[in-house]
Amino acid sequence: MKLQEYQAKSILKKAGVPLPASTLANNAVQVKRIAAEIGYPVVLKAQTLELGRGRAGGVRIVQDERQIENISNEIFKLVLNQHPIQFILVEKAFTFSKEFYLAITSDMEAGTPVLCLSEAGGATYLEPESFKDARVLNRQIDINMGLKDYQIRELMTGLGIDPSLWKQIQFIAHKVYEVYRHFDATLVEINSMVVTSQNQIFALDTRISIDGQSLFRQESFSDAFDPSYFGWEERQALKFDVDYHSFPGEIGCMVNGMGLAYLTIDQLVNLNTMPAAMIDIRGGATSTSITSSLEMLLVSPRVKAIVINIFGGMTRCDEVADGLLKAMDEGLPKKPIFIRLEGTNDDSGLDLLHKNENLRFFSTTEALVNAAVGWLRGEEE
Amino acid sequence: MSILIGADSRIMIQGITGRRGQFHTSQMLNSGSPIVGGTSPGKGGEWCSEGRLPVFDTVKDCVEATNADVSVIFVPPHSTADAILESINCGVKTIISITGAIPLQDMMIIKSALRNNDSILVGPNSPGVLVPGIANAGIFPREIAIPGNVGVVSRSGTLCYEVVNTLKQEGIGVSTAVGIGDDPIIGTDFSTLLELFEADPHTDQIVLIGGPGGDSEMKAATFIMEAVTKPVIAYVVGENLATSILRPFFSRSGSLPLDTLGKKTGALKDAGVLMANKLNEIPALIKR
Repeated sequence: MKLQEYQAKSILKKAGVPLPASTLANNAVQVKRIAAEIGYPVVLKAQTLELGRGRAGGVRIVQDERQIENISNEIFKLVLNQHPIQFILVEKAFTFSKEFYLAITSDMEAGTPVLCLSEAGGATYLEPESFKDARVLNRQIDINMGLKDYQIRELMTGLGIDPSLWKQIQFIAHKVYEVYRHFDATLVEINSMVVTSQNQIFALDTRISIDGQSLFRQESFSDAFDPSYFGWEERQALKFDVDYHSFPGEIGCMVNGMGLAYLTIDQLVNLNTMPAAMIDIRGGATSTSITSSLEMLLVSPRVKAIVINIFGGMTRCDEVADGLLKAMDEGLPKKPIFIRLEGTNDDSGLDLLHKNENLRFFSTTEALVNAAVGWLRGEEE
Repeated sequence: MSILIGADSRIMIQGITGRRGQFHTSQMLNSGSPIVGGTSPGKGGEWCSEGRLPVFDTVKDCVEATNADVSVIFVPPHSTADAILESINCGVKTIISITGAIPLQDMMIIKSALRNNDSILVGPNSPGVLVPGIANAGIFPREIAIPGNVGVVSRSGTLCYEVVNTLKQEGIGVSTAVGIGDDPIIGTDFSTLLELFEADPHTDQIVLIGGPGGDSEMKAATFIMEAVTKPVIAYVVGENLATSILRPFFSRSGSLPLDTLGKKTGALKDAGVLMANKLNEIPALIKR
């Protein structure tokens, strides 16, 4: 889960990382008032989770108050990847002589945190190409030992950073690592870290991503979710702990496990068809989350037919059947449901379902998808 | 005759009295798996599974009393790291975490501990290890596979079921099927299991099932080129998406990894692996 810039900055500031003064605003009048308090020049930064903010004109330096309301309104009019800008962070603008990139990232293959230092100040780990030809040095950190001074020193000497800056960079690296550990982050990056004419280091831009699998113990972020980012289906999916992906097709799919999701989509694509939605109920889903998933597919106007592909291990087919029946009992629109139900307790699951006239049963993924696509084509003709 | 688990294995269950632990323990017992007991902190001294299995408070007590050398974990995600570390500390040789969605930094702590110990961790988010006719150490559906000489290793649990089931329908048996788990950080990767299958005298051919994201299939390709002499058949689900019309929708959702799509099939082919384009092409690629 990505945090907004202002949220990331407030965390790093509390941890002691030196940052320029900044305040959040939600209209042009506020922006002007805050800028007067902070003192010009200021930089106005659109708050968004989307990449490419700078390229879209969402970061503007303003020298004095004559233009500030106009520029603010231009930023508030921006829409990045369908998401309108609701907040601007007003920040003291700096002139600087040199910039760096510092981050703690996660190496999923090795399963370690990684200290990363580079000369590419404004780059981001989320866009590897943003580092271009700049030098990037990495060190894996043993999480049971923690980040060590020598590791930071090796990277600083590797990049030829002036020893007069070492102490400040070391301090910031340790703080960034503390934030990474304390908040179960997968990424804490400072892009960029700048050196002023007084040889002072400041963190200008920051980005923090939190591990979604740790949210149960990171309660401070439960309200950091920006609901405007999710449609009704996504919010339902979050609530019932299923994965929901939306596509532009007409077949709504429900599966258990990403492997089956990909397999089902592969099969659809082979027949030149797209899904309308893919819901992964994951292993061991309860009948409540299954009911809710089928409801989403039944009420979605785009979904013409439903494909349910379950191969239960932890997922019990009798619980799946139970959940499906509840959803079909609620007087929602009736749609043809193509189902393959196999695995743990499949006999009792199929017993529960076999009388329902909306259901058509199949024993393989291929037969299941072929039948659903065939039906859809028949309808279209 | 198998890898990781054999007829003389002694399997324990961590979280044996929980809803899922209880249910799957009885499934495993019904298939004749050599289960010796389990743990449930606070319930030590009780018996479960109709009085057939002893319950202990700690893995230490369980191992001392039963000589368990395999542990299957069903505890909830927030205590899974503790459960895995407890088993590592007690010298359990094979640890299988059915539980998934463990916090990533917990997994980093476990990976660090595994580097200094001899235990093998399968998972998290694994369907377990299946040795048909001998043991189901996990949540494989019953009667899904028959004994034989094909080793199966898969990232996805459900695709592992699909494959062993497809093989069974064609009369092809399995020596061992292992789901390594599809979480971002896992204990054991393809290469370790390929090495075990290569050394197992009762495995003649290996089926590998990959998927999008990460580079474990690329590493597997390198390992096969260098160290595997047995025939390997592979299927990488999702490779079609590389050229498909769906691509922009996958990238937008952000959670579905796309960077490696299309590369894995090529790398595995270069390593001499027989590639199936569809799951049900696999049986035909297996030598009888």
